[in-house]
Amino acid sequence: MKRAQLARERLDGHPWTPYLFAAPVGIYLLLFQFYPLIQQFYMSFTATDLLTPTVNPFVGMENYSFLIEDGELWKVLSVTAIYTVACVVFAIGVGLGSALLLDSPFIGRSLARALITIPWAAPSVAVALIFTWIFNSQYGIFNRALTELGLQLGGENWLDNASLALPAILLTTVWQIFPFSSVVILAALQGVPQELKEAAVIDGADRLNIFKTATWPTIQPTVLMLTLFVTIWSLRRFDLIWLMTQGGPIGATNTMVIELYRQGFVYRDLGTAASIGMIGLSIALLVTVIYFKVTQMTEQAQGKR
Amino acid sequence: MRTSRQLEHMRVLAVLLMLGFAAFPIYWMFVTSMTPSSELFASSPRLLPAWSQLSIYAEIFNTIPVATWLKNSFLVAAGTTVLSILLAVFPAYALSRFRFAGLAVLGFALFATQMLPEAMLVVPLYSIFGDLNLLNTIPGLVLANTAFVVPVITWIIKGAIDSIPFEIEEAARVDGCSRLDIVLGIVIPLVAPTLAAAAVISFFHGWNEYVFAQTLVSSENLRTASVGLASFVGELSTPIHSVMAVGVIYTLPAIIFYLFAQRYVVAGMTAGSVKG
Amino acid sequence: MSAIEINNVSKKFGAKEVIRDINVSIDEGDFLVLLGPSGCGKSTLLRMLAGLESISSGEIVIGGKRVDQLPPGDRDIAFVFQSYALYPHLSVRRNMAFPLLMQEFRLWYHLPIIGAMAKRRIENSPRVVEKIAKMSKILGLTDMLDRFPRTLSGGQRQRVALGRAMVREPEVFLMDEPLSNLDAKLRTSMRSEISRLHKEIGGTFVYVTHDQVEAMTMGTKIALMRDGIIQQFGTARDIYTDPANTYVARFIGTPPMNLIMAKWDGARMMVGSLAIAANLSPTLAASDVLLGVRPNAITLATDLSNDSLNGEVVMVEHVGADSIIAVRLKDGRTAHNDDGDLDAVMVTVPGYCMLSMGQAVSITIDPHQMILFSAATGERIRRLT
Repeated sequence: MKRAQLARERLDGHPWTPYLFAAPVGIYLLLFQFYPLIQQFYMSFTATDLLTPTVNPFVGMENYSFLIEDGELWKVLSVTAIYTVACVVFAIGVGLGSALLLDSPFIGRSLARALITIPWAAPSVAVALIFTWIFNSQYGIFNRALTELGLQLGGENWLDNASLALPAILLTTVWQIFPFSSVVILAALQGVPQELKEAAVIDGADRLNIFKTATWPTIQPTVLMLTLFVTIWSLRRFDLIWLMTQGGPIGATNTMVIELYRQGFVYRDLGTAASIGMIGLSIALLVTVIYFKVTQMTEQAQGKR
Repeated sequence: MRTSRQLEHMRVLAVLLMLGFAAFPIYWMFVTSMTPSSELFASSPRLLPAWSQLSIYAEIFNTIPVATWLKNSFLVAAGTTVLSILLAVFPAYALSRFRFAGLAVLGFALFATQMLPEAMLVVPLYSIFGDLNLLNTIPGLVLANTAFVVPVITWIIKGAIDSIPFEIEEAARVDGCSRLDIVLGIVIPLVAPTLAAAAVISFFHGWNEYVFAQTLVSSENLRTASVGLASFVGELSTPIHSVMAVGVIYTLPAIIFYLFAQRYVVAGMTAGSVKG
Repeated sequence: MSAIEINNVSKKFGAKEVIRDINVSIDEGDFLVLLGPSGCGKSTLLRMLAGLESISSGEIVIGGKRVDQLPPGDRDIAFVFQSYALYPHLSVRRNMAFPLLMQEFRLWYHLPIIGAMAKRRIENSPRVVEKIAKMSKILGLTDMLDRFPRTLSGGQRQRVALGRAMVREPEVFLMDEPLSNLDAKLRTSMRSEISRLHKEIGGTFVYVTHDQVEAMTMGTKIALMRDGIIQQFGTARDIYTDPANTYVARFIGTPPMNLIMAKWDGARMMVGSLAIAANLSPTLAASDVLLGVRPNAITLATDLSNDSLNGEVVMVEHVGADSIIAVRLKDGRTAHNDDGDLDAVMVTVPGYCMLSMGQAVSITIDPHQMILFSAATGERIRRLT
């Protein structure tokens, strides 16, 4: 907190200035993010029909108890959990691997570093479109390649198969987001002290040991932060899944946000949709709290602050 | 023990595989768009584009309102960019330089927006925009997108401002600058590369956005490219190579523009996130 | 009229008092050096003069005007930072023109294009152009006016920072360790250059440093600070020859002043069993005293006698023109072995000294250059003259 102290003492001005600077964005977010959020919170205790959204009779906890008793929620939660955890593991794993590759010098490195970010720039809708085509059961290049390789999975309709749809969605998601973690980890790798690596080499460490003693401690906070962001973004990812499978087949890719949208716009039950949203938000908040606890603990363990 | 030469070869192979993984789907979209209908469903796929099919890109502009879609997407993206940058600079400065009672609240509020799914806010936003007469308008989409972009780029710009030494601002104060003069005359020029990055990020968010464009706008001539393209998913009457051609036209500008801006985007993004 | 008056100024960071009730007043044309170790509050005091730091109590008057509530820009001061704090996005010329531009700045100049045109007009006005030409000539910057700070060397950046301060022609120049980022050789030449500028352009300078050589060579007045308190305020000569307490005595001079433990019994001053003429007031109660003497006010001899202090050589250092000899007294102790120094009296001898370790020597102290302090408080004890 030294910096905070410094900032206050060094640049104190008129007491209203900070509020003046923060007010426009504060008002903006209040109007377009938090007021709608509060409305949703209220709506989760009402029975509201999409066609008559102004009529919202108060029903108390009924939406929530319906969700819990219905049993569908547990399936949705488990799909969401699998999807989120897999996103985190693979997006960060592939990101870390590619970042390590791109960190070592080779000819054309800057070009490679630029090209790797392509998937991240591609619009989700286009990604959904192209991957739907790639996963097409008969003519998709994915299946054709698998058949060519002689694998049994060839010929399956990936997006229509209850056990293959989620892996397909996952592959697409990881393809789209791994460049982000790659780029962020790559930047963190620049902070690894060269001397530390050299010291490890002189001490006779092998590659894995160098990674463990010199590289990992430096990038660990960044990886933790990425974990938080990838988790939160995976919890709210909509376009890709909706356009590729709409949550199907038989709920195999039905994550919370997809279920929220189905309840609201397919079953026209805005109250239930809102209560799903609230549950999802609580999970995101919980993850955030855990993240801050974990960072605090690791910082203490490492003796910082 | 492997030799360093073997290791070098493995590394080159790994990099090529990785780049192939990253670039293939986009390449495949392009190849598909350039494949004649007769070969689309042939027993062995065509792996290279048939350049004779280039006319498809002229054709789709006649058969599909692509021009209108792209224009709308551009307007939404440009509006989002301008509004987001205008809104983000001052709170970013406040987050970086001031310590005040509302600081934690502002920081948390900005972060919390990352947790809110668009799909959840669509319904209340629909009614708010209805009250404000913003439904079915481009400015309405700009406002909705900005609400999600501003928090991200505020953090990014804050990261860049953090790295400006205090002394430079103090020198400016001694030279007679007010706080406003400092932000406009010193800070903004110094974080210009990051502002460029933030602008690119805002632009892409607006260009790529789907949920709001789908729900808050209904009229045909205000459709954005994302909504237009999404209407093809799972639809069978439009030939697949035309659909892919539209996809390419929609995706390629984003990617090319991004490759040019890539250096700034990465620098700006990591300035904000890595130091965290 | 005094150029700067600091009256009862204090500063608290939370509960911690970093500046305690400071009173200083200097005249126009003075070169005041705030000297002290890091963390003594010297930079904070300077920043309070500039208005970069608020004051907790007291008042600051610059040029007859009370300024402690004014923003930095209205105090008629210029500030040279340790890190130079040049504007990286502006050329040298525009860095130097910046303070002049701000004097005529209007809010609408922030507008793109027309604002930029208005700024160009001021920057190209004869007043600004002439001033920059004059200052860059004085500082030898004429050839680099269109370069950017990142392309300049440390010394050149420092000149630009000085130039930016000088174009305003302020009442007071404030400088915060401006030479500490330069290498040793450049520091020496910039030191004389700043002294030259002070004489050439006049004005009052306040200069913060932890380097006693800078303080002694540049300052017309020195305020030696410690823990937020001014230990002594005076000319370089005062501080060197007439230190107010043991802290000041030990801070200035290389090697620092020797402090030899002695006893005052009401009539005589004893170092061990040797009586030394002290010339103290007979009313002074018997107490422990410290006998302060600079290393160059001691003579060494190899013949031992009973009316001098005897000891043995424990260290010999040849530093070129002089040699520094450490002598551990047989019958006496020094008061400065607590901070890690040798418990030995330091003596400087001109030329290359042929003494070797372990050799027995005697030392004689020049009584006119002997200074006494109370061992209990460290404060100076005046002798009768």
